[in-house]
Amino acid sequence: MGLLDRLSGLLGLRKKEVHVLCLGLDNSGKTTIINKLKPSNAQSQDIVPTIGFSIEKFKSSSLSFTVFDMSGQGRYRNLWEHYYKEGQAIIFVIDSSDKLRMVVAKEELDTLLNHPDIKHRRIPILFFANKMDLRDAVTSVKVSQLLCLENIKDKPWHICASDAIKGEGLQEGVDWLQDQIQGAKT
Amino acid sequence: MAAKSSSDFDSGRAESNEANSKWLDAHYDPMANIHTFSSCLALADLHGDGEYKLVVGDLGPGGQNPYLKVLKGATVLTESPLPSLPAAAATFLMEQHEPRTPALALASGPCVYVYKNLRPYFKFNLPQLPPNPLEQDLWDQAKEDRIDPLTLKEMLESIREKAEIPLSVQSLRFLQLELSEMESFVNQNKSKTIKRQTVITTMTTLKKNLADEDAISCLVLGTENKGLLIIDPEAFTILAEMDIPSVPVFLEASGQFDVEFQLAAACRNGTIYILKRDSKHPKYSIELSAQPVGLVQVHKILVIGSTQDSLHGFTHKGKKLWTVQMPAAILTMNLLEHRSRSLQAVMVGLANTEVRIYRDKVLLNVIRTPDTVTSLCFGRYGREDNTLIMTTRGGGLIIKILKRTAVFVEGTGEVGSPPAQAMKLNVPRKTRLYVDQTLREREAGTGMHQIFQTDLYLLHLRAARAYVQALESSLSPMSVTAREPLKLHAVVQGLGPTFKLTLHLQNTSTARPVLGLLVCFLYDEALYALPRAFFKVPLLVPGLNYPLETFVQSLSSKGTSDIIRVLVLREGQGVPQLSAHISMPVSEGLMAA
Repeated sequence: MGLLDRLSGLLGLRKKEVHVLCLGLDNSGKTTIINKLKPSNAQSQDIVPTIGFSIEKFKSSSLSFTVFDMSGQGRYRNLWEHYYKEGQAIIFVIDSSDKLRMVVAKEELDTLLNHPDIKHRRIPILFFANKMDLRDAVTSVKVSQLLCLENIKDKPWHICASDAIKGEGLQEGVDWLQDQIQGAKT
Repeated sequence: MAAKSSSDFDSGRAESNEANSKWLDAHYDPMANIHTFSSCLALADLHGDGEYKLVVGDLGPGGQNPYLKVLKGATVLTESPLPSLPAAAATFLMEQHEPRTPALALASGPCVYVYKNLRPYFKFNLPQLPPNPLEQDLWDQAKEDRIDPLTLKEMLESIREKAEIPLSVQSLRFLQLELSEMESFVNQNKSKTIKRQTVITTMTTLKKNLADEDAISCLVLGTENKGLLIIDPEAFTILAEMDIPSVPVFLEASGQFDVEFQLAAACRNGTIYILKRDSKHPKYSIELSAQPVGLVQVHKILVIGSTQDSLHGFTHKGKKLWTVQMPAAILTMNLLEHRSRSLQAVMVGLANTEVRIYRDKVLLNVIRTPDTVTSLCFGRYGREDNTLIMTTRGGGLIIKILKRTAVFVEGTGEVGSPPAQAMKLNVPRKTRLYVDQTLREREAGTGMHQIFQTDLYLLHLRAARAYVQALESSLSPMSVTAREPLKLHAVVQGLGPTFKLTLHLQNTSTARPVLGLLVCFLYDEALYALPRAFFKVPLLVPGLNYPLETFVQSLSSKGTSDIIRVLVLREGQGVPQLSAHISMPVSEGLMAA
């Protein structure tokens, strides 16, 4: 690392890089959320189900995020754990309108929290209770109740109601994540 | 709505325990008001949006109010009333055109209602059957007013009892009527031609010419008329018609119609008939000892549940492979197909509120449910691949999701056969003698049996004679004479040389006391000495036990022993009433000395 790089880093001109994992069941809106967070000229128009995973980048006011957008389909979910080590934060997306599969989301979350790569780390988790625009969506409070989020004691977490298509609620979540990561660093 | 469903979540979660930790409790609504059987459940992506819906042919509470319901998630999407009770529901692809959304077929009465995109698309009617000529004749007479309603009724009743061809619906309805209603019914209906139509009892699908998952399928119908029909999915014409000896109640189809196919039909007479392409009649038949309650095809094996609370596995040629006994009556059965692990198993709903999952005869998993399950269905529902849908007797709906990490391991439950059954017994080799004996037995079997029987009869005779003699000479310790029923029982105590001999004498009569008895000992005077060899017995009160004690001195120094005979005599009579032989023990005291 050159002197110039370090200097620009100190001055805050160069943004710090963070690796974030984006997880959640299929059709919960992970790719849509990441797409909406990208600058408007880089957004893609149609979102298709992710195969395997894709790597996306976006910037917030002080951080540069590298997001591993994992596929949520059942057969790809066993890929998730291979990326746990690299992640410095986790974004967990929940389809608030899919009441039937809330238990599946809880099951996947519990497996994630009990994984040896995650269990003893103080890694911030941001939950998006997505699809708030749908008529039969439950509130974010209800989602956190159904997922038993109050049992997560050793990690900072935050739940945001969001509507990824309109982009509502996303910025609030990213700001929280940014604060957490910077708080942990300094 | 949100509050209601959340309470369902909580109650569902409370029930999960260690035993069914393979399943996530997604939904339980005991008041879902769905009353149906496994044959009337189907899962399909009806709108082509990747969200699989559940189709329910609902019989309604008490079979009164049939409805076609389509469920999405835990909520009912659409409901439409049905004209009669549904017999079966199936989803199938009708045509090759895009988008490839499956059509829904619902068999009810004599019709199959076909829905596309949840809109009525086609109604297939079963072909009409030729009416009974006698019945036709009667109605023709009624038309010309040559016959009065009462005679018509009598004639129709005689036809109903005797004739091979059953009556039409019109005649049957007429027979149900009261006398006053008959006249108007005849006037109303006499000009109509009588129709005889059968009803559908069961339905399944059969791939037409490709084995692919999304290939077009034909409908296979079983009718009350003991027939099987295969229906073309595009033109709705009858492609093939087959006859079987009984009424089919469960159907399983495999293969492709244009290539080679196989139908298995479980019938009301407790027989499974197996039909192949190009055979108008059953090729194989499997006779069960009880009525079938379910038929599921797992890989190449037909699994049949019977009313004897057991599951049987049969090959397609009717060879029995195994039988498993269930702890309770089987209510429903269906196939569990776990594609990602290529597992096929049978789910069995039992009367003891259990759902058991068997692969062949190995129990894989037991699910306990809050109510008895009447229908089962496993497959992709919503967006989840491995969802188990159950409806209960009380009209409840249970949805469980198989965990992604769950693996069905064999041997976790009880194994079908005990391990001892597989152990080889150490049977000795056949010897020359054994072979000779077997040959001799085979040749002279009758003679040997006769000789044995003769000997046996002689033995019986001798035993009887000895018994009579013993009774006559009162040699037994029991006296059975009507006047003096007595019982004698002797005990010898001690090690010797002095023994104590106790005679227990009992009067077994109910009321009469016995008086004037004498006891006499007969013994070898060189061996034994008794203080009194002859004494009188006191009055014997009925029922009481009189112990009479006396001492016996053994005189022999050589350790020999002998018998002492006890005689119970009556004063003035020469024949003893009772007698007993007492085997004296060897005097051990003397031997030691």
